[in-house]
Amino acid sequence: MATLLVDGQRVEAQPGDSLLVTMLRAGLHPTGGGCLCLGGDCPNCLVTVDGVAYTRSCQVPARDGMVVRRDHLGGEEPALLSDEPMSAGNAAPVHHVHCDTVVIGQGDSGREAAREASDAGLDVVTLDARDGQHVTGVYPGPLVVASDQAGRVLHVHPRREIVVATGAAEIQPVVPGSDLEGLVTGRAAAELVAAGVGLGRVVAVGERPSELPEGTLAAHVPIGQDGWKLVRFEGEGRVEAVVVRRHADADATEERIECDTAVLGLGRNPRNALARMASDLPVRVVGSAAMEPELPACPREGTVCPCSGVTVADLDGVWERGFHEMELLKRATLAGTGTCQGGVCLPYLRSFLLERGGRLQPAFTARPLNRQLTVRELAAGAHTAVTARSPLHDEHLSLGARMDRAGGWWRPWTYGRNDDEYRSVRERVSLGDVSSLGKMTISGPDAEAFLERIVPTKVATIRPGRCRYVLMLDERSYLLDDGMLCREANQGGGDRFFLTSTSGGSGFFELWLRDWAEAFGYDVRILNHTASLAAINVTGPQAARLLARAGARALPAFGLHRQVRIAGVDCRVVRLSFTGELSYELHHPAADARTLWRRLLAAGARFSVQPHGLETLLRLRLEKGHIVIGQDTDYDSTPRRLAHDWAVNLDKGDFVGRQAILRTNKQPLDKRLVTLLTDDPPPRETLEAPSAEGAAIHDGERYAGYVTSDAGTTAGGRRPMLGWLYLDAEGNLPREVTVDGRAARRIDGATYDPEGARARAAVDLASESSENVPEFPVARPEATDLAAEFPTRPPRLRRLEATRVSATPAALDAVVAEPPWPAGALAFRTASDELLVTATPDFEVDGDPHAIVERETAFSYVWLDDATAERFLDRESEWRRPDARPALGQGEVAGIPAKLWFETGRTLILTPAPFAAAFQRRLTGSLAEPDGATP
Amino acid sequence: MSLRIPCPHCGNRSVHEFVHGEVRQVPDHLTDPDERDLDLAFMHDNEEGVVTERWFHALGCRRWFEIRRDTTTDRIIERRAS
Amino acid sequence: MNEFVERQMKLTWRPPKKSYDVVIVGAGGHGLATAYYLATRHGITNVAVFERGYIGGGNSGRNTTIIRANYGIPAAVRFYQRSVDLYRGLEEETDRWLMHQAKGLLWMAHSEAAVRAERMRAKLNTEFGAETEFVEPQEVQELCPQLDIEGGGRWPVLGASYHPQGATARHDRVVWALAEGAMERGAHVHQNTPVEGLILDGERVAGVRTAAGDVAAGAIVSAVGGHVSRIAAMAGLRLPIRSHRLQAFVTNHYRQQLGPIVASSELFFYASQTARGEMLLGAEIDPQPSFSYRSSHDFVQDVCRRALNLLPFMANLRVLRQWTGVCDMSPDYSPIMGRTGVPGFFITTGWGTWGFKAIPAGGEQMAELIATGEVPELIAPFGLDRFARDRTMADRGSAGTH
Repeated sequence: MATLLVDGQRVEAQPGDSLLVTMLRAGLHPTGGGCLCLGGDCPNCLVTVDGVAYTRSCQVPARDGMVVRRDHLGGEEPALLSDEPMSAGNAAPVHHVHCDTVVIGQGDSGREAAREASDAGLDVVTLDARDGQHVTGVYPGPLVVASDQAGRVLHVHPRREIVVATGAAEIQPVVPGSDLEGLVTGRAAAELVAAGVGLGRVVAVGERPSELPEGTLAAHVPIGQDGWKLVRFEGEGRVEAVVVRRHADADATEERIECDTAVLGLGRNPRNALARMASDLPVRVVGSAAMEPELPACPREGTVCPCSGVTVADLDGVWERGFHEMELLKRATLAGTGTCQGGVCLPYLRSFLLERGGRLQPAFTARPLNRQLTVRELAAGAHTAVTARSPLHDEHLSLGARMDRAGGWWRPWTYGRNDDEYRSVRERVSLGDVSSLGKMTISGPDAEAFLERIVPTKVATIRPGRCRYVLMLDERSYLLDDGMLCREANQGGGDRFFLTSTSGGSGFFELWLRDWAEAFGYDVRILNHTASLAAINVTGPQAARLLARAGARALPAFGLHRQVRIAGVDCRVVRLSFTGELSYELHHPAADARTLWRRLLAAGARFSVQPHGLETLLRLRLEKGHIVIGQDTDYDSTPRRLAHDWAVNLDKGDFVGRQAILRTNKQPLDKRLVTLLTDDPPPRETLEAPSAEGAAIHDGERYAGYVTSDAGTTAGGRRPMLGWLYLDAEGNLPREVTVDGRAARRIDGATYDPEGARARAAVDLASESSENVPEFPVARPEATDLAAEFPTRPPRLRRLEATRVSATPAALDAVVAEPPWPAGALAFRTASDELLVTATPDFEVDGDPHAIVERETAFSYVWLDDATAERFLDRESEWRRPDARPALGQGEVAGIPAKLWFETGRTLILTPAPFAAAFQRRLTGSLAEPDGATP
Repeated sequence: MSLRIPCPHCGNRSVHEFVHGEVRQVPDHLTDPDERDLDLAFMHDNEEGVVTERWFHALGCRRWFEIRRDTTTDRIIERRAS
Repeated sequence: MNEFVERQMKLTWRPPKKSYDVVIVGAGGHGLATAYYLATRHGITNVAVFERGYIGGGNSGRNTTIIRANYGIPAAVRFYQRSVDLYRGLEEETDRWLMHQAKGLLWMAHSEAAVRAERMRAKLNTEFGAETEFVEPQEVQELCPQLDIEGGGRWPVLGASYHPQGATARHDRVVWALAEGAMERGAHVHQNTPVEGLILDGERVAGVRTAAGDVAAGAIVSAVGGHVSRIAAMAGLRLPIRSHRLQAFVTNHYRQQLGPIVASSELFFYASQTARGEMLLGAEIDPQPSFSYRSSHDFVQDVCRRALNLLPFMANLRVLRQWTGVCDMSPDYSPIMGRTGVPGFFITTGWGTWGFKAIPAGGEQMAELIATGEVPELIAPFGLDRFARDRTMADRGSAGTH
């Protein structure tokens, strides 16, 4: 036998009891009074169960150890904060179910509908409140969300139809005394009698309760027939008598019928909220849920809405003051806005409005949630946005970095030595992880023509082996992003370019390029390498020497790029500079990043190499006046406002944003992003609190803009800032201004090395001794032999060694038909023009001279056996999986993009390496979660 | 889940896997007048009804495709090959 | 008996006339505020407001009732601060209980970039008359003890901007008080009377075609929310507006225990406890244009997940009801107020996700424009012509938020 605690009192439950029945056995009314329906339609049985208030005790089975509090007694409000310690805990497990038809409600009509669908060969799922499955909402998708007995949240995805067979609710009484104990509906009475709960002397009011056993009733008053009307219930706490009146006129004699329990049969209303909230979905309503509502008589006195405590007098009051629409009546009284969502009051509101206004108004809008799940339950299956990790993430942590979210990536913000990080760049040499930069290869017959249309820089003059800083504009000529564009050395295959974006822009970068390529109709191949390639910026006056120590035999001059093997790793080395120092950006396969990083640190030891974090980088670039997209720019930042006209070539032909530049150039300039230098350096401020960002700039008395970047006082005792400066009434840009009341001066160009001599410094590698350069072993990658691997327990993700191909669909069709790679390699057609192959990239795609074939190390994989895969995916993937084997599926799994390869007996999951750690955590966590755990 | 978008390569997926886009109008910037550019850059019909639009399957195949959707009901009218 | 039953306001309905000095389309907060301020500030009462449904039934009844002025550009800070100030006096001015509560707003930062942004917000706000300060984590915790400052171990709070004047008010009551104030001075409000067309007299808009017949007017103001492009098209205008869905939800009501409004632009949600005791949560708009009022499950699912990071006490609360509004978004995330280039036709739109907080100032300024014929200085930057003039009011600080 189960024992519960109700308000601290031990209460015994009998097998099969709902919590409500257990409480009634013990003589405890959950809310202190009000008619009980036992059907989940009213708010009169609400209690707090194990810390969860607003729980319908009639819908919850009594369980041993349950802690119940009557927090809703007399309409009291429960506490917002629980006494239990704060912890978000785990979300409830979610379970995705795919079917043809879902039938909600398993009464006669629901069972019939399920049988018919089953007979027609359809895949049917049934949900029934009596089995503990409570439907919270029917949503577009279509999607039916329900909780189940085991504490899971079910997401049912029907392909064909939703059948609503939820039956009808019994109308509750609205008369004085309707908040007494001892009032039950006809169905409730039958259930209570069957459960053996003593009802005492029972009087039925209205329809004769057909399910009550013979002899239960002491009296029966047929309300509505023969002119009988229900006047009130009398009693102290519990009902002692039903008062009825025979005639309609007010002075007719009242009759008082003594009772311990009054059983109400006042008519029925369809439970059609689920159907009403899904009127544009394939929903069919059957059985009594489809009936016309029975309108009760207009109430005269009493509580209409027990959830919000609204009386007939309240309705009259707002009606008199002009609130005549159903929605206004509801909003002005709050009737219908509580737990039962109008279950009790809606029929009465309609009859009230009909009588007062002579117009039958429709029910107010049905909105989810039909049954109120908790925040914990509702969060089931959701994950917060995942932040990408660079392949060097763990290296940074081991060097003591504090990681920070920036542009969707974890970046090392500081290694805790900001001054030394800064000095290592300016005086020695430093490493920066820039793996998060967006990276794209573009080839094809129209590659150059396409890029000419996309960037405002002249592309034709970027010769092979050269690179140039480029802007990316939208049609309004507002700056979207910036990056560098490299033309590769001609390899006989025609034009091929490498284009980068900022870290924050890497998400939109690919889709933006593809969108325009298709809009223009250009014949290009585009391959996104953002995760595939890691990038390390080697920067500082000793950068070339460090690289020489790491085995570099040749390095590109400023503005150039080339392939160089450094420390045994093949890199694309690009020489531009963001820090203002001699800089080489080393782009290399993600799988080699850790090796390269460690070897560079080792090779740089003699130069006291030190990595620098993002905070230092922001300070370095500020001295060079380089902008940071998003920090210094806003939605309306045109090249002119940014003083980046130099990066725009209006004579080269058409490009995105050109017309907008021409159009807006006809308007006077209003503001410009400028570099300011405070004349009077304040005492050195802590670098941790850059103080002037957001500070107002004044031109005399005139507000003239605000500071967007300030990294504090730099080593030279100077304090450069970037900020927006508004032109004055005469159209001039002031030279002398104040920032936070301190004098500042607008300067042209950079505050550090304005001529750019340091970044452009000539390098003579020949003078570097090649002695003492260690031999760096070169790892020859071997493709992952997926076919030979099998599911392991526990499942662990590993890095995939593979090849990615971008080529025309026809060429890929041909290559897949006759694979040039070794037998046993798996090829995944991830798009019509893209392929992922578990082979090394030493093959050609004959049908497409512009094909891009590149080593791909930025996926992690895990094989799952069928049972594990099903268990995991039923929880973490809401999309329907293919029936065929083998088959590829792509989409969100556990909140992370994944590619799934379904074979007979096992399933492969591939996920981008930047999300692999998060995926592993979610995989392990999900599999550890027991089925149907109660929180 | 709410809206499901039919990706021609991957199948029906939640709208969260996609990025919404419009059918790009390709203006001739060399000859277009300012008014037309201003209109293209900023103004919208904002149709209440069926619109043709593009979606990018960011969490799947990472390709664009075109569909027609009724903006009053969010019903997908048809999928177009892209 | 509940204390929230409306017991003061009286709405007076009158039959439509053939002609008014001013016709306002849309009896939401902005339309009714315009009528209210025309009547109370300028004595213009021969005014009608036409509404296709019931008053306040659009976004005025679907928002998250937050009032704040902590915007990201000077013109917006000034304008919304005016609204904050008007709101503070509105209960006294109308002698009605609007459940206005100044509770303070905390805008959390979980990254260095966000810390910068909130510091900048504080500085800019202060400069332009809105009270906002940057507060360190410990102070955040003192201001809101219910908050998990560690963000569940994943989203630690690195600081926040605190806007003490951040407030909430009961949205319906604001609408009704303005309606009542306009009505009692003679303005007409016509419910269930959609405007089906505009009557043109040459270039000029001279009246409206309604379900109840043609009505002439000296000036016509579109204060429509969610469907403004349709009204503008009647005047031959294309607007820089796209309409997007915005959803929100409330829990059941609980005892008053959460003080400030809590927002996080990195976790994309905000939460407050209403006067009635419900926890009210909102988040960002749907990215694709839509006019569908259907709510979705994923919205509640995602927002619950995000909110639990900072407000773990919510785990056991039950979510009661969700709903959807349709927001008119401008390209620069700022409102569009004023003349349209079509004589006789004025517009107030682009209220995106910030329409409720702008109701009094928007109404006051539009009324002044119509009454005086002069564009008030406070809204001059927000004219429709700003796009042609290359003077967009880009406000990154308000993009996609409450």
